[in-house]
Amino acid sequence: MSLQSLDPRVNRLHLPENPSEPVAKTELDQLETYEVFHQKKENAAYTYVGPVHAPNEEVAFLFGKEQYSRRFACTGMWVAETRHVMVTPYTDEAVSVYDVIRINQENAMENGEKTAEAYEIFHLKKRGKAHAHVGTVTATSYEGALAEAKKQFGEMKPVVNVWVIKAADVFRSEADDKDIWNTTKDKMYREATAYRVMDKITKFKEEQAAK
Amino acid sequence: MNTEALKDLLYKIADDQLILGHRNSEWTGFGPILEEDIAFSSMAQDKLGHSLAFYSLLHELGESDPDTIAFTRNANQFHNSQLVELPIGEYDFSLIRHFLFDNAEILRFDMLTRSSYTPITTVATKLKGEVKYHVLHANTMIKQLGSSTEEAIGRLQNSLNEALPYALGIFEPSKYEAELIADGIYEGEEKLKAAWLENIKKVLSQTQLELPDLTTITPKNGGRYGEHTEHLQPLLDEMAEVFKIDPTAEW
Repeated sequence: MSLQSLDPRVNRLHLPENPSEPVAKTELDQLETYEVFHQKKENAAYTYVGPVHAPNEEVAFLFGKEQYSRRFACTGMWVAETRHVMVTPYTDEAVSVYDVIRINQENAMENGEKTAEAYEIFHLKKRGKAHAHVGTVTATSYEGALAEAKKQFGEMKPVVNVWVIKAADVFRSEADDKDIWNTTKDKMYREATAYRVMDKITKFKEEQAAK
Repeated sequence: MNTEALKDLLYKIADDQLILGHRNSEWTGFGPILEEDIAFSSMAQDKLGHSLAFYSLLHELGESDPDTIAFTRNANQFHNSQLVELPIGEYDFSLIRHFLFDNAEILRFDMLTRSSYTPITTVATKLKGEVKYHVLHANTMIKQLGSSTEEAIGRLQNSLNEALPYALGIFEPSKYEAELIADGIYEGEEKLKAAWLENIKKVLSQTQLELPDLTTITPKNGGRYGEHTEHLQPLLDEMAEVFKIDPTAEW
């Protein structure tokens, strides 16, 4: 029996009556994704703004700047490859994620063989909001960093999710290049809201009607 | 201070920005990838903004208002280098032009921040960050694509060979070169060219692109004094098409 839909768009699909065996979906020809964080003003916390597809971090930085810094004030940008972001589970807003996560103590223990390095910690305060940088900890593993973050930032509430990224995996804008963010404020013609035309259109219509 | 010399300097800077800004804007909607479409469009807006700032300096020196200067002159009254008026071609050509032009532009802005004419210093200091970003954009994309696939490298190399004589035209000396240097207004095209060459070599050395032997190339000069290719007048006609319908209209 062939399925018929009253919606003509559905019938245009020509679904086969005996579907063939499922096959593996072909891999998408896409660049890797990078996560972009921006700083809205000097000394403010870096906040997550969204992802970009790019072949490397330098290009990701450019694309991040084009996509996320043109419309709002921005004083700095960080990018990190998505696969370098370690994400905890999410919790409800009533519960801090630090109170429910289980940290593998063995992995988290200071490991003499591994050298300690810096990790950046980002908190999500509420679902639907953006992760914001809360600080940097030193550890020998992601778990260790999370355990250290719990000690240092565990009292901050609410925290529904935590991201941990090795500081070395974060590509940052150069302090010497601060002036690249100085887009002059007097260029209102960039904004659609700068074009106030309704009064002119109304006036034109009135003139036409009067003729 | 030699006002004619100063105007000569301001005109060539502003006209370069206006014309390249217009060319870059032609990528809007046609970029090879969305991100580059946005980048070229944004840089086009920046360049138009820069030309406005320099036309305003000219206005203060007694020239017409910026709109009149931008929209009512003919090709032979423009002072831009021929490099910026060439059609956008394919993306590789536009990228190479952007790379060659903006690497010179940032050094020019650097010099202007040290100018003895304070209004120029103020404008250059305010806008320099945007040009710095344009250079970062150009250098990053050249490094990326200039060491990627055979096709990309081949295309960029051809465009580099094609654009270079025109790029050398950026440094066509002014009639007032000696006065500008003596008055401390501007450090001169020779110095600019030497610094530019050093910088583009640094970037190109990180790619598989080769800089052709400059001694064998005749610069395409003439643009600074109204001598242009056949591509400029149609660009101006298109740019001023709406303006000319009603030059007195208020937008």
